[in-house]
Amino acid sequence: MESFEHGQDASALADLKVVEIGCTDAIAFVGSAMAGKLFADMGAEVVKIEPPGAGAAERRLGPFRGGRQDPETSGLHLYLNTSKLGVTLNLEKPRARDLLMRLLEGADILFNATPPADNDRLGLNWRELVARFPRLIVVSLGFFGTESSGRTRRGGDLTATHLSGVGYETPFNQVTDPPNEAPLRMAGRQSDYTAGFTAAAAAMCALLARKRTGRGQHADVSQWLAMVSMMRPSIGTFTHDAPESPYYQRLLTRMKTGFPWVFPCRNGWVSFSPLTDRFWAGTKKIMGNPEWADSELFATRLDRLLNSDALEAGLVAWFMEHDKEEIFVAAQAEHIPCFPVNPPAAVAQNPQYRARGFFVEQEHPRAGRLTLPGAPCAMSRTPYRVRGPAPGLGEHNRQVYVERLGLADTELKALAADGAI
Amino acid sequence: MGKLPLEGIRVLDFGWIYAVPHATAWLGALGADVIKVETDLFRDMIRDVGATDGVPGPNRCGIFNAINFSKRSLVLNLHHPEAQEIARRLVRLSDIVTENFTVGNMQKFGLDYESLLRVRPDLIMLSGTPLGQSGPMARSVGYGPTTQAFAGMCHLTGYPGRYPCGTGGTWPDFAVGVLMVFLTLCALHHRDATGEGQYLDLSMAEVVTSMLPEAMLEFFLNGVSLEAVGNRDPAMAPHGVFAASGDERWVALAIATDAEFEMLCEVLGEPRLAADPRFAHAGGRLENVDALEAEIARLVRSFDRDELVARLCQRGLAACAVYSTPELMNDSAWRESQMRVTVSHPECGERIIPGLPVEFSDIQPGYRAAPLLGGDTDRILSELLGFSTAEIERLKRERVTV
Repeated sequence: MESFEHGQDASALADLKVVEIGCTDAIAFVGSAMAGKLFADMGAEVVKIEPPGAGAAERRLGPFRGGRQDPETSGLHLYLNTSKLGVTLNLEKPRARDLLMRLLEGADILFNATPPADNDRLGLNWRELVARFPRLIVVSLGFFGTESSGRTRRGGDLTATHLSGVGYETPFNQVTDPPNEAPLRMAGRQSDYTAGFTAAAAAMCALLARKRTGRGQHADVSQWLAMVSMMRPSIGTFTHDAPESPYYQRLLTRMKTGFPWVFPCRNGWVSFSPLTDRFWAGTKKIMGNPEWADSELFATRLDRLLNSDALEAGLVAWFMEHDKEEIFVAAQAEHIPCFPVNPPAAVAQNPQYRARGFFVEQEHPRAGRLTLPGAPCAMSRTPYRVRGPAPGLGEHNRQVYVERLGLADTELKALAADGAI
Repeated sequence: MGKLPLEGIRVLDFGWIYAVPHATAWLGALGADVIKVETDLFRDMIRDVGATDGVPGPNRCGIFNAINFSKRSLVLNLHHPEAQEIARRLVRLSDIVTENFTVGNMQKFGLDYESLLRVRPDLIMLSGTPLGQSGPMARSVGYGPTTQAFAGMCHLTGYPGRYPCGTGGTWPDFAVGVLMVFLTLCALHHRDATGEGQYLDLSMAEVVTSMLPEAMLEFFLNGVSLEAVGNRDPAMAPHGVFAASGDERWVALAIATDAEFEMLCEVLGEPRLAADPRFAHAGGRLENVDALEAEIARLVRSFDRDELVARLCQRGLAACAVYSTPELMNDSAWRESQMRVTVSHPECGERIIPGLPVEFSDIQPGYRAAPLLGGDTDRILSELLGFSTAEIERLKRERVTV
């Protein structure tokens, strides 16, 4: 079967066949699309299965050009489904499920974000699938994990963020009026994407295991636990420290108790970390060694932590007299961790990304000329590459069902008439 | 269950702080022999950030131990030429090298990819830095949380019209670490098939921006540079965090459909609200989101947090308590999860650490407590490189292995 042009580059996963089924819940979850994207851009053949009619969740999420809602040109769809083949299947129909089984027969990996109760009802439970296809790796993605006692609990990015503890720590060390500064979700759908990364890593672990055992297996990925995994510093503090310790005490309050990562300056904001001895020496130097900074209040790292409010006041007074670009250059010259706080426009136009060719251009058959974030890592032999455009809804039905699975054109028509595809 | 998938694979890990050590802990738990190369002269700073139960020392930090499980520790003073030579001899015996020094440092030690290829032609090497190895700003130093500011996250996270925010969970280090696992295993899969190694040049900022497609596509499609929206969602309302009775008792809830909104209003004891023409349909709820949130806030305020969450969940709604870490650690689903792992640490005793956030049906990850600083130096030098006891003593005396 014809796959996308792989150009001159080798691709790491060109030998793999992946099937991706998204989430049907009204609360969108796009983690499986992210996992599938990583495999597709890495060269695997990824067949994305979408319900006929509505299509996958990301098709309704936008952003849309000029606000014109069109499931074929939703920005998230255009980004998350690059390099994939798109087919439709209404898994409520037995004939559609038969087709899915035929697809899985030749597949290495299934990413399945169908809610657990629907999997049970439709015969898509991983136990049945792994029993039927002994080499298949089934990765379930769900809010709580399909093996958990809370498996049917509903969730989404908001609750995964806040039930994991990440929301409680956001904003980080900036809250001065807790009742009026509620715990926050991060921008975008971070728990979806993190669960997607986790599912992709888990699939590769299972694939390497299969080389030794010859057997596939199940990997259960919970959106919530993927976020809990981000909480390692706080969890380690909780399980290793005593309740009276200041480090432990910090876990009990959202009130500012030390340094934030971001500070205001004359024309915006900067991220800045002055804590270690080396960074503090550099910080004093770029400020022109002001007298206040030599106070013994700030002599050691611990002193600086204990007197962080006074130190912050001094720092911010200096920041407010300088632009973020100036502070960035001066700080980096002293090897102090510091970056400007960039809005999306600055991110899109920054020279570092441009020099590395991070954003890529694509001519999309339905959406026209596009710019997309590209490879998050430059790989010297097997580049991560946006290989092809996100598919139209059911665009590859014929290619997959007729040319690959050997259905007759009349059968394809009958399936369409039945609403199965 | 038998052998672990990465048994026989050796990883020489020069990484420190969070992202790379997290990635190599995955590899170690999956069976790789991960050797963490560090030095007592300039320690992995996470060994010294507190959370030691009041007992000083480089081996007791809970944060370090929650990240560095299932690896060994070798001390090498990489400024010493003989230490560099030992490192190169170990690279010859390794499949994967990982590092996250400031760009240029590995060259300084003679341990850059080009140099290491000469001793190990099929080497897989991963460098993870704030902005990657190339480009005008490549030498910038940064932590994950300062780098996310560069990548757009801080500007986009916050209350409308207020200040840009640093985020919780020391974002994005651990998400980046998981992606590193995926990328490294892809390279290993390619090497299995072809015998070819390769170099992986990862930019943390690019990973973060890859995770902000909503905002980046809005800019690229419409030229609009988005601002922070708090807990709100462009397609759902209510979608937020509301204070229940008591101090700092918050409920997060996400309502996707009109039917769900009706159920919410019933549970909140005000079914009439669902019939309010402003709120009956999703479009109206989004248009009148300020008024809607004010109503929900007023109602939630009179409930006990956990009781309300239980009732909402019973109706199949997406709701939860906002947990602090201590509350998370008491949650029953966390307590039953396989991710909650107990290890026995030689100095700290039995401790709980967060294991891998995935449950395999046929892989039981091998968890071992984080290594003591340099705890495996002698054994690694003698078993892998054949150093005698006398030579190992000399290396210590000459401050090669400190």
